[in-house]
Amino acid sequence: MTPVKTTSAKQRRARIAARSNGAYHATGIAVSLFFLAPFVIAFLASFRHGAEAGLPPLPPWPTNGFSLDAYRLLDGFGAGIWQHMLNSLLVSLATVVLTVIVSLLAGYGFSRYRFPLKNMLFVLIIATLMIPFQSILTPLFIILAKLGLNNSLLGLTLVYVTLQLPFSVFMMRNAFDAVPKEIEEAARIDGARDLGLLVRVLLPLVLPGVATVAIFAFLNAWNEFLAALILLSSNEKYTLPVLMMAVRAGRLGAVNWGAVQAGVAVMTIPCLIVFLLLQRYYMRGLMAGAVK
Amino acid sequence: MMRDATRTGVVLTDIRKSFGSLEVIHGIDLKITEGSFVVFVGPSGCGKSTLLRMIAGLEEVTDGEIEIKGRAVTDLDPSDRGIAMVFQSYALYPHMSVRDNLAFGLKMARTPEAEIEARVRAASAILKIDPLLDRRPGQLSGGQRQRVAIGRAIVRKPDVFLFDEPLSNLDAELRVSMRIEIARLHRELGNTMIYVTHDQTEAMTLADVIVVLRDGRIEQTGSPREVYENPANVFVAGFIGSPRMNLLAARWAGDGSVQVGAVRVPVSPEIGKPSGDKITLGIRPEHLLVSSAGEGMLQAKVDFSEYLGGTQFLYCQTDDGQSIIAEHRSPVPVDAGDTVHFSWDSAQLRLFDSAGIRIHGSQR
Repeated sequence: MTPVKTTSAKQRRARIAARSNGAYHATGIAVSLFFLAPFVIAFLASFRHGAEAGLPPLPPWPTNGFSLDAYRLLDGFGAGIWQHMLNSLLVSLATVVLTVIVSLLAGYGFSRYRFPLKNMLFVLIIATLMIPFQSILTPLFIILAKLGLNNSLLGLTLVYVTLQLPFSVFMMRNAFDAVPKEIEEAARIDGARDLGLLVRVLLPLVLPGVATVAIFAFLNAWNEFLAALILLSSNEKYTLPVLMMAVRAGRLGAVNWGAVQAGVAVMTIPCLIVFLLLQRYYMRGLMAGAVK
Repeated sequence: MMRDATRTGVVLTDIRKSFGSLEVIHGIDLKITEGSFVVFVGPSGCGKSTLLRMIAGLEEVTDGEIEIKGRAVTDLDPSDRGIAMVFQSYALYPHMSVRDNLAFGLKMARTPEAEIEARVRAASAILKIDPLLDRRPGQLSGGQRQRVAIGRAIVRKPDVFLFDEPLSNLDAELRVSMRIEIARLHRELGNTMIYVTHDQTEAMTLADVIVVLRDGRIEQTGSPREVYENPANVFVAGFIGSPRMNLLAARWAGDGSVQVGAVRVPVSPEIGKPSGDKITLGIRPEHLLVSSAGEGMLQAKVDFSEYLGGTQFLYCQTDDGQSIIAEHRSPVPVDAGDTVHFSWDSAQLRLFDSAGIRIHGSQR
């Protein structure tokens, strides 16, 4: 009797396990569908055929076969999609590079050095997060004009870096705070100094922080609209979000859905690439095993 | 090991350290013979780590001079002082393999590749960490990490090794084996080593010279035996030794004896007259012998007893309410609640004056 009982108990347990496993995967798939649906719909809709592309995206998938008409249409706006894409990439990448360099140095300084008014300065930097961006648009416009950086991608980049820095400095200071002081001291005894110390020893340890800062800087610069709209005045300098506004406005008041969907697809891809490239560092805590 | 006592490894001259207006190290003078193993001990906050970090160059010296092997290093960078340091938290570079951890300092010093390889091999052989060379610190156990940290110090071939409580993060068993390892390392390498700890066993077993610190001042410098048997003052007497030395409040009776409560304790007549009447009488637990009642003996009631196998600690209260600890080695057990009488060899008594300074007899 007993062995039979054991077997059935075992089977029951296996059945319960399989059921809960199934529920787990079903929920996972449902949730990921929710997240993927917008991407899929936009991508599919962007491949609709000629006249069909101009109609509202219902149903969102191509019914007359795949075509690149929507993309060709998109390329007809402004100075061509490649030019605007390049503008956006230039501004975003430059923003990332400048933001990372400045916040790395500032974060290190705020974390490790003792200097007068340190805390006050730090609070001041953080406090600028509370200033609504719109309220400083006019002064920024005037300053850029005085600097001769009006209607230039460099000027726009500097504005983006400025906006990005408070959060980034805060992030990097925390990242450096998490690195034990002894590691830095050991490196100093080993003969590492200044920039060498920062680059060879500390940078790998704050990489998750750098990745976070880089992702945020890229996404914010890539998606920013208001400053770009106001600070850029010539057509060929527009970044993608500004171009998208022109595309959406369409011609003769009609929305060109195909072009909009193609624009959405084009704008999404770099964000996905950046996130997929950096998420490994973004997620990982490198500090395991450094101290005790 | 033969050591040339005239060669100085490290010389500290009137070292002071202030944080803001607060002075934490008050003028320390110390000469360390080359090749000796010096241990800084003291309660937490006594400045022992700060002093070590000043020698390392990690902490700025407010005033005073540091010399290593006859070279003034006070204003030099840590890497130019000829020192290597082992930290309590190991402080390994987590993103580098063990091999790179060991080689990092040599790479920074632009040592030729072949030389680096040779030194890393030699150090890992000494510490038996060769199989771990390609691992990362995160994949090592605490003891292995500490070996790597020591290895990183060895490859630098320093004049002076500095250890900042290197064993505190290890469990008891590992601590004992690493302690022996460090002693062996000192014998093999023969470098000057300075070791900071609050652990008495480490201090007593490793040191050639113990430096007892309190509140940023040196209380006593001497061999473990000297510090244990002839403490310079009440603080050292109470700090070195576990359980601590019994320190009993007493009065100088004037006729070559000392009054402890109701008991008159004869002391050696050559001891000389202390400056005041109030004195402190010190005696180590192992020198108190449980005896049958007699003249000049201390009577006490056992509050509590601990049997440790082979020996027994008796926590007692004298008639005048002072607590004393005795180490009882006799096969006849003593239980809590018993009343015992203690006798002693008067040569083992240590007397301290009212300021807590040791009163030396004329025989010394």
